[in-house]
Order: sequence, then structure tokens, then C-alpha cells
Amino acid sequence: MTWQTVIGLEIHVQLSTKSKLFSGASTGFGAEPNTHVDLIDMGLPGVLPVANKDAFFKAIRFGLATNAEINQVSTFDRKNYFYPDLPKGYQITQMAMPIVGKGTIKIFANGEEKIINITRAHLEEDAGKSVHDLFEGETGIDLNRAGTPLLEIVSEPEIANAKEAIAYFKAIRQIVTFLDICDGVMAEGSMRCDVNVSMKKTDDLELGTRAEIKNINSFKFIERAIAFEIDRQVKILESGGSVAQETRLYDSVKNETRSMRSKEEANDYRYFPDPDLLPVVITDKELEDIRANLPELPEQKEKRYISEIKLEGSEARIIASSKTMANMFEEACLKTDDSKLVAKWLVGEVSALLNKDNIEIDESKLTANNFASLIKRISDKTISGKIAKSVLEEVWESGNDVDEIIKDKGLVQIQDESLLENIAKKIIEDNPDQVNAYKGGKDRLFGFFVGQVMKETQGKANPQSVNEILKKLLD
Amino acid sequence: MSIQFKTIKELKKMLQSKEISNKEMLEDTFSLIEDNKHLNAFITLNKEASLKKAENLDNNPSELPLAGIPIAQKDLFCTKDLRTTCGSNMLSNFIPPYSATVIENLEKAGCISVGKTNMDEFAMGSSTETSFFGNTENPWGQGLVPGGSSGGSASAVAAGIVPAASGTDTGGSIRQPASLCGITGLKPTYGRISRWGMIAFASSLDQAGPMARTAEDCALMLNEMCSHDSKDTTSLDENIPDFTKNLNSSIRGIKIGLVKEFDLSKLDSDVVKVFEESKKHYESLGAEFVEISLPNITLSVPTYYVVAPAECSSNLSRFDGVKFGRRCENPKDLEDLYVRSRSEGFGDEVKRRILIGSYVLSAGFYDAYYKKAQQVRRLIKNDFVAAFEKVDVIMSPTTRGTAFKAGSMGNDPIQMYLEDLFTIPANLAGLPAMSVPNGIVNNKPLGMQLIGNFLEESKILQVAHSYQTSTDWHLKTPNGEIS
Amino acid sequence: MDKKTVRTIAHLSRLTFEEKNEEKITNDLNNIIKFVDQLNDVDTADIEPLTSPLEKTAKTRSDNVNAENRKEVFLNNAPSSNEDYILVPRVVE
Repeated sequence: MTWQTVIGLEIHVQLSTKSKLFSGASTGFGAEPNTHVDLIDMGLPGVLPVANKDAFFKAIRFGLATNAEINQVSTFDRKNYFYPDLPKGYQITQMAMPIVGKGTIKIFANGEEKIINITRAHLEEDAGKSVHDLFEGETGIDLNRAGTPLLEIVSEPEIANAKEAIAYFKAIRQIVTFLDICDGVMAEGSMRCDVNVSMKKTDDLELGTRAEIKNINSFKFIERAIAFEIDRQVKILESGGSVAQETRLYDSVKNETRSMRSKEEANDYRYFPDPDLLPVVITDKELEDIRANLPELPEQKEKRYISEIKLEGSEARIIASSKTMANMFEEACLKTDDSKLVAKWLVGEVSALLNKDNIEIDESKLTANNFASLIKRISDKTISGKIAKSVLEEVWESGNDVDEIIKDKGLVQIQDESLLENIAKKIIEDNPDQVNAYKGGKDRLFGFFVGQVMKETQGKANPQSVNEILKKLLD
Repeated sequence: MSIQFKTIKELKKMLQSKEISNKEMLEDTFSLIEDNKHLNAFITLNKEASLKKAENLDNNPSELPLAGIPIAQKDLFCTKDLRTTCGSNMLSNFIPPYSATVIENLEKAGCISVGKTNMDEFAMGSSTETSFFGNTENPWGQGLVPGGSSGGSASAVAAGIVPAASGTDTGGSIRQPASLCGITGLKPTYGRISRWGMIAFASSLDQAGPMARTAEDCALMLNEMCSHDSKDTTSLDENIPDFTKNLNSSIRGIKIGLVKEFDLSKLDSDVVKVFEESKKHYESLGAEFVEISLPNITLSVPTYYVVAPAECSSNLSRFDGVKFGRRCENPKDLEDLYVRSRSEGFGDEVKRRILIGSYVLSAGFYDAYYKKAQQVRRLIKNDFVAAFEKVDVIMSPTTRGTAFKAGSMGNDPIQMYLEDLFTIPANLAGLPAMSVPNGIVNNKPLGMQLIGNFLEESKILQVAHSYQTSTDWHLKTPNGEIS
Repeated sequence: MDKKTVRTIAHLSRLTFEEKNEEKITNDLNNIIKFVDQLNDVDTADIEPLTSPLEKTAKTRSDNVNAENRKEVFLNNAPSSNEDYILVPRVVE
């Protein structure tokens, strides 16, 4: 009996608007509890929601980037249930007419490219947070997050395994960060994922009953939760039982999924159109403006880097796939002529430092300006590549200005040909044995002479000039 | 000279001519409130702040349109730092941190909010018998209901305690009590008055409005109450006219529609007589009566009793004992907190409507009830659109009869629901409508209803005013006529 | 509506009532539903449901932060709170 896994993902993306979906409270992360809460977010009697247009614009960017239908007229519905972090006792969401309809996204998994269909993406408000472990016998409610705009992206159940699920999640994350609609910071809950898993036999026409695992916010946990769930479901099905359609939670400590308590039992959400919110209309002009100003996506960047800047394919892909690196690249290129050198250093030395410290570029002390200075000083031969490496390390630690470091440490490359020639001549004079040995055929000793000149000049001699001069003198 | 039973217009004159100071006027108001305590028209009084405001006005006179006029506010409007209960135990300790737009508008126009008036709990009722704070009495007779849900406001105006009050109308809650108490009450076009701060019952039906002694005073109030409010996306952006401007225009040639489907033969003969008299009077003023058909109008009440409970079941979910309002004692867990806080906090009628509302929205029933009702609602609206191509205003009795005895509607909720059969259609269609006193039967007042087309408050006010300048039903008081 | 349905609806609405009242409540609800059943006599095929009497579309707001910090007021208004959170009995997920 071969079991086929069928997975669908619902990803909740926190849109990076400044204010909330229906109120003017701030969406900023990490504030003191209950300080980013407006009357509307508290659900006080008599308050009314007013929709944030920017949330719509951001949702539309997603729709355009996934070639999706954009519903220029969309409406809001109420989803009714009781939970302490849901102040109104209902969530405002879009059931009937979501802002974004069917679209597609390309993923790379298991060495292959696959297209996943997206069913829809709609706007809804986030709930607050329940803090369970701070107080004995009580749960604390913080409504800072309540009302933050979410874009819920629903995939078709076309994902076949955990690797594809992660690839899909990563692809969505890449799109939303590149589109500047979400900061993609998983640790802050900017993206959360509900995973629907069901099993079917390969020749079954119908899908099996699915279980929904809610609110996973790390790639590792998605993978583990899916693995556990597949195992659990197969065991049930093979023993003749049936899988219950239910909501489950993934426990990362015990590495298991378990059924959520009766909160979800028999929950009839009684959706109906929200009478406080009239339909929102996006005009043709607004749509065109958004389309015209759509930020470049990785695929487009990669193509452009290769065709216009003539980068190598591999370099282009690496730089284009990270928004922070692409930003650094593009900014630095504005300030120096040597784009290819910028790319080389980004992909090489800078990436090595990023990996060592396990951070993103925008978390480092390296600024685009400073990076551009470094590249400029290599291009104009002020410093050698080797010296530049040490300068970069200094910048990485201190954030100090490149030119100042070069000056303070006297790292300016020695270019003066006559000076170098004198030094070279002296080295040759002082080392007659090596000279003879070299002339006698020990070619490798050339490195010795280069090394000696470098030592004499504290590494500051221009290596190319040293090579040329020594060749001239020795050959 | 007593301020009792005076209109806004009259009180303004008294203040301007310095016949009475602002402070004296407010002191008299509070004396009247005290003397009429048995009516139980008020839940919370705002005495200290009111007297202070009046004193300030004496020192710094103001030209504002309602400067110094004492107004009673229905306890459904949030008033900053002043308890707001909605007639419910659930909010019996609720002090809002903000004021409703309509309250701010009225206060910016200079009026003094003397207190919050009693009402059916969460605006659900037609008799002000479901308030946690006890029944309100109709000044026209002991043990008589004032109507509802704006019973406290109606009673206070009818007793001459205040010249005007704010009310709200979802299925007739301004017009029906106005009729039963012999005063004038108007529900404007849906969206004319901002719902920000108005505690929601049924969002697509609720509208605030003035209750006063005359159409003219209603117009004065309406001028100040209406505004476009960006905090309420259902708030109209239309031009707001001066509603007093056309009051005196002649109604000669105006076409008044009579609804064929309102079978008046089913009403008490005395009630029919009152209505016929009014018709005759209008004919003498030059109006022309036209029979119109609103084929779906008899479905208004069942439509309403699907839509309103559905919306209210959702609107009242926020009353959960968690963030504000009453919480039950010693909840043993979250479920217990919810269930007991809500069951203790809400009265029976509210619970009934929440249950109906949840039912008609539930999976499997949504299409048959809620969706169906919204479709019938559109048919009703379309009927009105067609009718207004033939007539300028539509006229009907406001209520089936006069004020009934408290407790007499028995245990059948549907009997109470049918009280609103004339008033509900205007809410479903979002049209402006008002009740104008037009008779007295067995020493109990009656009102007639005028329904206008979308945005045509001025027209119904004009038709009402022409009636009031040639009749004196609106001048009658529970203890005899005043000049 | 049978008693079971009433109990389910009551649970969805987080309401309870005494057993002795259950019969009356069930009867009342059934009468109301019977009363509104007359809507089914009307043909509404192809009629667009009316959600709001206004034939207009929404005014939206621009993305500005303009709310004041009302933490103290909110926490004071809550039936149970400490200096940071509104409190409810421990919720177990």
C-alpha cells in the first residue's frame, strides 16, 4: 500500500504597514504590553473599523507578483468565535470576496522546479496574544498585536512532501520580503503557517480527511510536524481507523502533534458580511500605479544582473536571492564603477563573514557607502586585495570608515615603481644563493623573492608591480 | 416662569431675554427630574457638570445654536467619563473613555447633557420594560408603557422635563415611543448621523435621531446631530442642508402615499378615526392622497427579526466579561467566565435575540434565513424606490394603538414584535421617517408616521410642520393643554 | 429546533439558562422561527442580498499612526488586570 501525502499550506503574513488594518494604532513589534491599542482594537462598545488602504496595496503587490486575479471590489466578513485575545468576539476577514484570487508560484525542491497553485490571498486582522506562563493560574492578554493586518495565503493541496512545503514557505517569504510587504522576521511572528496534512492511496481519486496543524513559525518545526503527522495518520489508516478532521498543535518539545482542546470543537463561525464595512474598490489607476512600481523580484534581478551587469550566473543567483544582499549590491554599485568586483567580494569575503556570525547583511556594521569605498580603493589600487581583506575585517568589527582605517594603519599600497625596484634590487643583492638557485631552475623560489619584498614593505607593495619588477630583474 | 413643557425655541428666547439665567434653567431642570422620579426616565444624572456648564454660560454667554439648552441623552450613546449602561447589567459599571460623535456634536452646539435616559436593554424592545434599571413610565398614565426602546427619552420630553432628547431607532425605537408619548420623533436617512460611539445593536439598521415637542425643534436638533464622520465608514458624505429652512413652505399639491398593504381595518376603530381625521386635515391643506403598493411590506417584520438578531448576536459578542463591563464572581475557568458573565449580564429578551441571531447565521441555515431575509430586504427597498416615483411622502399610523399597560404583552415575544409593523420598513430601506402627534384616544396620545425618500428629511419635516402650525395635538400635555 | 439544537446554539453564544426555563425558551425560539419562515413564500431567485441600505463603497484611511497610548485606562476598565495585562483564568491549549 503506497500512501501519498497531500499537503496544503495556509500562511499568515503580517503586512508591514505602519498602522493596523482597521485602526491607527502602531504595528511596531516589541512594545510594552497594551500600549499599541486603540479604542477600536479593544473592541469597546460603539467603535467602528475603517480599512487601511495601504494594506490593500500591499496585498495587491502579492497578487501581481503571483500572476493572480485581483478583485478590484472586495468585501469583509465576520468570523464569530470566543477567545480572550479576540476582543470583539469576531475576527474581520474576507471570506466571500477576497482581494486576491487564484495565482501561481514556482518552487525548487528535491532538485526540481514545480508550480504550486495559490487558491486565494485575503486580508484579515490578527488577534492579540495570550501569555500563559507568567502568572499562577491566570493568563495575561496583550492586545498590541490585535488588529495587525494579515495576508492569509492559501495554497491548493498540491504539496507532496515536507521538502516541498519548506520550499514553498521559503518562496513565499522571498516574495513578500522582496515586495516590501513583510519583513519576514520569523522570530517576531511575521509569518506563521498552518499545515493541512492528509494521506491517500495513490490510486484514490478523492483526498483523505485532513488534519490542520496550526501556527508553526519555523522551517525546522514544519518539517518535523509533517513527519510526525504522516506517521500518525498512516498508522491510523493502516489499522483500519479513520483520521479525524480536526485542528492540532505541534509541540516542539515532545515533537508531536496533538488535538487542540474543545475550543475548536463544533465551531461554527457563522460568517456573514460585516455591515460596518462597505465594499472596498481599487480603481484601475491605483492598480496600474501599483503594477508600475512593483519592486523587482529575485528572478528579475538575477536576469538583470546577468544581462546588464554581466555577472556570473552563480553570483547573480546568490546576490538576487537575498533581499538584504541585493540591496547592498545595488547600493554599492551606484557608488563605484566596478560592479563585478562588488559582486565578487559580496559572494566571497562578505558572505564568509555573514556565515561566521550567522547574521543578515543589514544586521552587520557594513554600510553600502563603506563597502563601496573598500571596492573603490581596491580598484584604484590604493590597497591590495590581501590588505583589503584585513580592512574589511576591521570594518566588520568596528564599523569605522574605510579610508580612515587605511590612513591610520598606513595601509596605502606602495605603487612607487622606483622605490619597489630599489627594494627588489636590495633583496636580490642580499640573497645571492637563492638567486643562483632560482636561475638554476628552482622556479618556485620566485615566491621567496616576492615574499621578501612584501615583508620589507609590510605587505603594502602592489603585488602585481612586485611580480613585474622581479621578473624583469631576475629573468 | 416654569420651563416645563417649553420647546427649544421658547427656552432660547427665555435665555436671550434674560428672563431666566442658564443656572436657573438647569436648576429647574433638575427639580423637574426629581419631581418626576416616579417615571424612572433617567439612569444616570450629570448634575454637577451640567450646573457648572450653565454657570460658565452665564459668565460667558454664547451664540451657539443650542447654548444652555438642557438635553437628555439616551443611555446607548457613549459619554466620556459618564456611566453608559445601555439599560443592561452587563454595562452597569461601564465608564466610557470617549464620547459618541453625536454627543460631541450636540455639546459643541452648546447644549447641556443633563443625564442618560432609560431604555430597553441594548435597544431590544418596544416598551422599556426590559431595562435592568426598571421600567420607565409613560407620563400619560400610571402603569402605562412609554414605548421603546427610547422610552426614557420619550418620557422625559413628554413630561416636559427637557425640551428634547436624543434617541436611537433600529426598528422604530424613536417613532413608536414618540407616538405613545405624544411627542415628535425623527429617524433620519441611514448614514446621516455618525454611529461612532453609538453602542451597536443592528449595524445596518441603527440610526440616532432627535425627540422633541415639535418638528421645528427636531429640525434644530438634526442640524447639529448630522455630520460626515470619517470614523464611521457608513456615514454619508452628502451635503447636510439646514433642516429648518423649508419648514414653512406650502405643502399644496404635495402627494402623500397610502400603503395599500397596511390593512387599517384591522386596527381599533378609534385609531382609524384619528388617522382619517389627519388625512382630512392634510387634504384641507392642499395635499393629495395617492394609493401606492408596497407588495413585500408585510414581510418587513419577519425580515427584521432575522436581520436584526443576526447582527446583534455578533455585535454583542464583545460583552464577554474579559475587558470591560461586568464579570461574574470567581470564574472557575474561561468557559465559566464567558457563560456566567453573559448569562448574568444579559436579560431574557437580549438572550432570545442572540440565540435567534446565532441560529439564522449558523451553517445550514444561513441561506434559508439570513441570506433570504437580505434578499427580501432588497425587494422591500425596491418597492419604496418605485413608490417614491409617484409620491413625495408616505403616511401611515405610527403604532397599532395607544400605550398599553406594562406587563400586558404577556409571554409572547411575537406580540411585542408586531408593535413595530409600521415602523420597521423604513429601517430596512434606510429611509427617513418621523412620528407626529395626531390625536388622543382615552386620554392616551397617538402619532402618525411620515416616511420620506432617501435624504429627504426636509420634506417630511415640512409636511409635519405644516400640520403642527394648524393643529394643536403636539401641544397637549398629560395634565392639560399649554399655550 | 429541538432541545439539542438550542443547547448547541446556546454554547456557540456562550449563554446558559436554568433547566426549568429550557422548555419555554425552546418554545419561544421555535415560535419565532415559525414566524420568520413565511419569508420562504417569496421568490427571491437572482435577487442580490442587501447588506447595507447605502449604495456606496468604502472610504478608507491612509496608513498613519495616530492612536494614543491608553494602556492605563484600558487596564483600569478591565474587571481583572495587573500593571501590564488583562487577566483571565488560565487558558490551557
